[in-house]
Amino acid sequence: MSSLPDTFDPYDDATQPAMNIEHYAETWVRVPKQPLFRRPVTLTEITGPTRLAAKLRPGDNDLAHPYPDKPRAMGQLITVSGRVQDEDGRPVRGTVIELWHANCNGRYIHPMDANNPNPLDPHFVGSGRVTTDDEGRYEFLTIKPGAYPYPNHPTRWWRPPHIHMSIFGDGFMSRLVTQMFFPGDPLNDVDLILQSVPDPAARARMVARQIPMAEMPVLNVMGFEHDIVVRGHRQTPFGQ
Amino acid sequence: MTRLIPTASGTVGPFFPPHFFRPGDNDLTVIAPGAPAAAGRRIHVFGHIYEAGRVPRWNSIIEIWQADAGGRFAHPNDPRAAEADPHFMGWGRRASEDDGYFDFITVMPGGYDDPVSGARRAPHINLSVTGSGLMRRLTTTLFFPGEPGNDADPVLGAIGDPALRARLVLGTAASPRVSHGLAAYSIDIVLQGDGETPFFVD
Repeated sequence: MSSLPDTFDPYDDATQPAMNIEHYAETWVRVPKQPLFRRPVTLTEITGPTRLAAKLRPGDNDLAHPYPDKPRAMGQLITVSGRVQDEDGRPVRGTVIELWHANCNGRYIHPMDANNPNPLDPHFVGSGRVTTDDEGRYEFLTIKPGAYPYPNHPTRWWRPPHIHMSIFGDGFMSRLVTQMFFPGDPLNDVDLILQSVPDPAARARMVARQIPMAEMPVLNVMGFEHDIVVRGHRQTPFGQ
Repeated sequence: MTRLIPTASGTVGPFFPPHFFRPGDNDLTVIAPGAPAAAGRRIHVFGHIYEAGRVPRWNSIIEIWQADAGGRFAHPNDPRAAEADPHFMGWGRRASEDDGYFDFITVMPGGYDDPVSGARRAPHINLSVTGSGLMRRLTTTLFFPGEPGNDADPVLGAIGDPALRARLVLGTAASPRVSHGLAAYSIDIVLQGDGETPFFVD
């Protein structure tokens, strides 16, 4: 039981993506025109579901070899691991992370991607769910996703390989959906979604770090480390 | 103390895995199939979501979060957490359908004296929208019609214009899909354009 409640400052626009992106057509018709209203923070915003795993069952931390009696998924095997922390650096324990990404051919398992000319991989599930441990750590095994084109505009661009991650955190205001990118990919520099975050340091934090090969326990698996910070910090005690 | 900066948001995109939705994810009255029912009056909350030009927006991911029937949250930040309904999680999720339709079965949330702001919170449901074209989530709060506490609610009161406040008060039309035999409450979520829903700074 905490004596001081979590507080939530508004996000800094420099470290968050623009809502309207010129060549990302869907943003033109789905982003409100009215300014957003500032609301006071009350109990309902600083609380959130604490037993989500009962509804969103974790355990799918192997996207690369999900069916024990079948071959593994095509593509470069990777692990992605890291810590989820709040703004004070406290570990966010027992929180559900959902993740999903394209297969090695840049195709999703989704009806919206049914016209993708690239093949599905019957041995790749494309999504998983993990829970952070007592130190806020998570890890999953998967394959490196392929790039794919953003098609819905005359000015097309390649989306670099990326992994979607949905994190619940400790409360309603901590909820985060983000994308993780891979270091050194030249497509990162032309991705309008990654580049919509104004602050270069904030963009850099969306890019995973490759773990040196010598530190990986298995020779044929590439390791990536990706730490995530969700919103929320303790109030400064009065007088300090 | 060093403050870490929250990781940047990114759009959910159009490919949120369909199998992340399971039957019952939009039914807050039981935590799992066959589990004991939550206390309180069961209600059906439904609506449609639209983008600019009143075009139905399908494939939106809508999540809700609310107090239990007694106005409590089963969360360490609530001083009354120990009294919270053990059979109520307070969270649900649903993707909007082709015509923008979404719905939840839940219990009527209780109001409460807010220990953070000192204000009285009227019964309400927090709602967030994510999906393709939304680089950050949109959040708003739904209120119930005829609640005397609405006028003094600090979040509803953060919206100055009464006509805009009215857009966050649920209607009582029946669902075009299914009745469940429950009191039904309806809302239009308009992302952009005429009748645009007021959203809050996240």
